[in-house]
Amino acid sequence: MENMFIPAMERSPEVDFRFLENRLSLRGEAYPEDPAAFFGPLLKRLSAHCEAIRGQELQVEFRLDYFNTSSAKALMNMIQILENAVRAGTRVTLRWCFQKDDEVMREFGEDFSMELEHVNFQLVEI
Amino acid sequence: MLASDHHRMKLESNQQGIIFSFNGFISEGILFALGDALKKKMSQDDTDVCTMKRVFSVFVEQAQNIIRYSAETLAKAGQEANRISSGVITVGSEAGRFFVVCGNVMRREEALPLQARLEKIRNLDPAGIKAFYLDRIRNDPDPDSLGASLGLIEIARRASEPIQYDFLDIDELNTFYCMKVFI
Repeated sequence: MENMFIPAMERSPEVDFRFLENRLSLRGEAYPEDPAAFFGPLLKRLSAHCEAIRGQELQVEFRLDYFNTSSAKALMNMIQILENAVRAGTRVTLRWCFQKDDEVMREFGEDFSMELEHVNFQLVEI
Repeated sequence: MLASDHHRMKLESNQQGIIFSFNGFISEGILFALGDALKKKMSQDDTDVCTMKRVFSVFVEQAQNIIRYSAETLAKAGQEANRISSGVITVGSEAGRFFVVCGNVMRREEALPLQARLEKIRNLDPAGIKAFYLDRIRNDPDPDSLGASLGLIEIARRASEPIQYDFLDIDELNTFYCMKVFI
């Protein structure tokens, strides 16, 4: 399958989804004009990929500086997809990276981690 | 007269610590451009990163609420991203704290449920606001209602004191809604 790469734009993050390597990363800021158009296809591909690689390990990295509430909802959906994937037999590691002194992003990481029981969650200061 | 009127207007704004004040039709593009100016201004003033992020977040959510919920709105069907809506949005600093004010016209029948939501959020302490946020983001299946709930909770979460709001009925159908938030 073709990898999925979307370069960072002024208000949407870089998406780097390498299917063969089982790696997904999001970097940058997220407050797209049309959140459904931006996150919809990504959520679909993530669900499908989690199904396809049962038993293998997926590594996800979120390195975000800002996201608005619509994007927060989409991130929560991604996190719920990951948690369900682990229940179905995929191993998942999620690295939530935040800049030193960025209390807002650190706290969001803690918030989202409360949703995760089975995903290997790492809160990483960078 | 032209210069003196506008100079007086500008001086009054400056005295109120206003960084910018926008009145009129706002688009997603204007939101981005104003947000960019706001980030640059705060960065030039060596504002700390957390404060910058909180102010920016309140600004974005308020501006998007105007775009989505102002009664004075223009959009073609199927072109939601091109919607423009009228409102006012002001960012400034007062006694060492940033504030963001937004206002727009809305239908009177929509004001009552909004007022109930605002009052509920106003009466929560920070831990309660955080719990409410997590509850909504986890359980709200309807993305259309998100702007009306999660956005307001996010604003309250970034504020340093309870949000202030006010409504002014302007005719039989419409009310002017206004919110001021100190960060």
